Amino acid sequence: MNAGTRSERTLDRLEPGERGIVARLDGNPGSIRRLMELGIVPGTEIEVVRRAPLGDPIELRLRRVHLALRREEAASIHVSGL
Amino acid sequence: MSPVSEPPAPLTLAGAAPAVPAPLPIDGARTRHVAILGNPNAGKSTLFNALTGLRQKVANYPGVTVEKKTGACELPSGRRVELLDLPGSYSLHPNSPDEVIARDVLLGLQSDTPPPDLIVLVVDATNLERHLYLALQVIEIGRPMILALNMMDVAHARGIVIDERALEQQLGVPVVGIAAARGQGLGNLRRLMDRDVEPSTMHFRRWPPHLERVLHHLEARLPRHRDLPDRGRTDLALALLLDDGEDDALARSAPPEVLDDLAIVRGRLDRVEPAWRSDDVEGRYEAIGEILKRAVRSAGDPRDVTRERIDRVLTHRVWGVVIFVLLMGAVFQSVFAWAQPAMDAIDFLVGRFGGLVESLMPAGPLRSLVVDGIIAGVGTTITFVPQIAVLFFFLCVLEDSGYMARAAFIMDRLMGRVGLSGRAFIPLLSSFACAIPGIMATRTIDNRRDRLTTIMIAPFMSCSARLPVYALLIGAFVPNRWFGVLTLPGITLFSMYLLGILAAITVAWALKRTVLSGGRPLYVMELPPYRLPSWRSVTLTVRDRCLLFLRKAGTVILAVSIVLWFLASYPRGGPATHALQGRIATAQAAGDASQVQHLQDQLAGVSLRESFAGRFGRAIEPAIRPLGFDWRIGVGLITSFAAREVMVSTMATVFNLGRTEHDVVPLRQILREATDPVTGARSYSPLVGVSLMVFFVLACQCMSTLAVVRRETNSWRWPVFMVVMMNALAWIVSFAVFQGGRLLGFG
Repeated sequence: MNAGTRSERTLDRLEPGERGIVARLDGNPGSIRRLMELGIVPGTEIEVVRRAPLGDPIELRLRRVHLALRREEAASIHVSGL
Repeated sequence: MSPVSEPPAPLTLAGAAPAVPAPLPIDGARTRHVAILGNPNAGKSTLFNALTGLRQKVANYPGVTVEKKTGACELPSGRRVELLDLPGSYSLHPNSPDEVIARDVLLGLQSDTPPPDLIVLVVDATNLERHLYLALQVIEIGRPMILALNMMDVAHARGIVIDERALEQQLGVPVVGIAAARGQGLGNLRRLMDRDVEPSTMHFRRWPPHLERVLHHLEARLPRHRDLPDRGRTDLALALLLDDGEDDALARSAPPEVLDDLAIVRGRLDRVEPAWRSDDVEGRYEAIGEILKRAVRSAGDPRDVTRERIDRVLTHRVWGVVIFVLLMGAVFQSVFAWAQPAMDAIDFLVGRFGGLVESLMPAGPLRSLVVDGIIAGVGTTITFVPQIAVLFFFLCVLEDSGYMARAAFIMDRLMGRVGLSGRAFIPLLSSFACAIPGIMATRTIDNRRDRLTTIMIAPFMSCSARLPVYALLIGAFVPNRWFGVLTLPGITLFSMYLLGILAAITVAWALKRTVLSGGRPLYVMELPPYRLPSWRSVTLTVRDRCLLFLRKAGTVILAVSIVLWFLASYPRGGPATHALQGRIATAQAAGDASQVQHLQDQLAGVSLRESFAGRFGRAIEPAIRPLGFDWRIGVGLITSFAAREVMVSTMATVFNLGRTEHDVVPLRQILREATDPVTGARSYSPLVGVSLMVFFVLACQCMSTLAVVRRETNSWRWPVFMVVMMNALAWIVSFAVFQGGRLLGFG
């Protein structure tokens, strides 16, 4: 992908407090479209705010919006380092 | 000072100058329809309430359980428009039944709802970037639209400065700043709504070339209809392309030959333009970026400090869970305890009213119908209202404050284990008080399959109406032995609750793999900022819930109670009752009050035993014998369909005890000592008591639950399925308990 950025990781691998830039999404087209409509489009900066007390789902912050996403689904979002 | 009227007076904008409003041409008596649309949490409902006040109606869209809220709104010119509160939506490409409705209304596909003449699109001014996404989609359809920037007061406090005129120019629609919760800016909005708003001519979308060609081609093949502006035809074409074929309204909008070609077109696009399904999304967000660069003068602090502070506690690993448990405990306790005095009062008043009517009417079948059928049925319905009101009061406060999303966030993992989402927790918890409000509370679950699963398992939670039955049977059959700090009756009662929970988990698991299986839905939930709930909307919600229940479920409950009354009262006047009536008359003449009472109790017992319900009880005896029940319990199973606790009074009547609802001690004794009239052997062993309790945990013995399931699922299919599934399960488990127990030597 983008040369010069650090290696890509999936969003579920980020620790709370870590940030990344959305590189690409994979999974079924319907889910990709919905996630993008909620603002998770390539190029968006995302922060993992916290994990739920039982470890799942995780809270994300992007474009001033906070979203909760299950880790399984967060795994379909690839981010690159800042 | 009101932040919304800060200089340079952002509220008065060139287009909306409160000069002379140009009234719309009056075409006959047709009412103008104005739709309010916005993202969830944009403050749409607050605005709707503020504009309509109490003049609103709640109904359902036909065939679905999405709520249709309409109301009248008076404009400065004195004209009235009809306001429609469309369901909160993130996008016009729907992901939930709610969003399907919003899309169908805007595209003119919803036959019972005329497409709006004007759309008021509400966005959260503190979060324009995401909220403008929907606004851009709506503008592209080509309908007249006003953009209402809500929560301008909050935006101001956070240092966000929006140039409304620049935004108007960028979007091509009138823009007005409001703070709906405080009632600010509503005058300007009303004035704008009075004007003749032209649809925007701006274009924001950028299609990849292949997709553009396909869409134009498709568009040309769609029939023209007057309910959709020409610009919106592209959206219809895209919707058709993106749909997976499950959408009936869409399928009806296109000729069959076009539908047939869609799969081929999709396949071709997938090859040449793999990302075509989401390219327009990226394009729109790019456009939003450009627009905001020109229209936002200061972005303010990107972080919401208050929310972060609160979240650090409320979603904390330890404190978050503690607070959650305490809050849920408080809600549960309130539904149980706060509603109880009101329910007792209603019971008392209905009883008094029944007594009054009884004393005014001559004895006979008509009096019996009015008192024991109609008044009792209405009474049953009304007694649910306090619980519904209390639960929805809390639900509404929790939802509007933003806590509900956090509760779902905390509980999601646990509920996910049975295939449900975190939102299912509160409806299930409330069902321990009563399944009726619990089932009504499943509306916050947006996935259809999750919601149906939750509805189907809610009645397994041991509700408060089962408690009198448990109490009677435990008192009669379970000896009071101590096991350490626990007593056997306590352990038994706890086991019944546990059994219900286990049954719910099992059934949810099974449903998710069979009738309600389906692709795993994308789980994504917004965690909205915290806000103070508005008392007006809390009051309105509670009122709507109660009225809807009374109107829709109440009629079914009343009808069933009349049927049950008939079954328990007819046929009347057999030889045995005549003989007893004669003896009562003699005793009355002799002034022997206790004898009269005794004979009257006997008369009630004989009448019930000889009624249709009594015969029914005898008829089903072969079916319930294997569970250890005789026909007398069978009668109770039939009458308790009115409400589970009726079991207690029915048993009292069957055993000639008269109405002893408040003193069950003699009934316990009678149950213990009851003998079979033929063999003379003991009728009920402790094992029968346990088997009966198990039956009550699992069986669907409640017409009101079925009435409310019918209303919430909008079909008779689900209540019928519920009754069959639950009663079959109850029969099987009671059978296993009774026969297994006998094999092990109990009873």
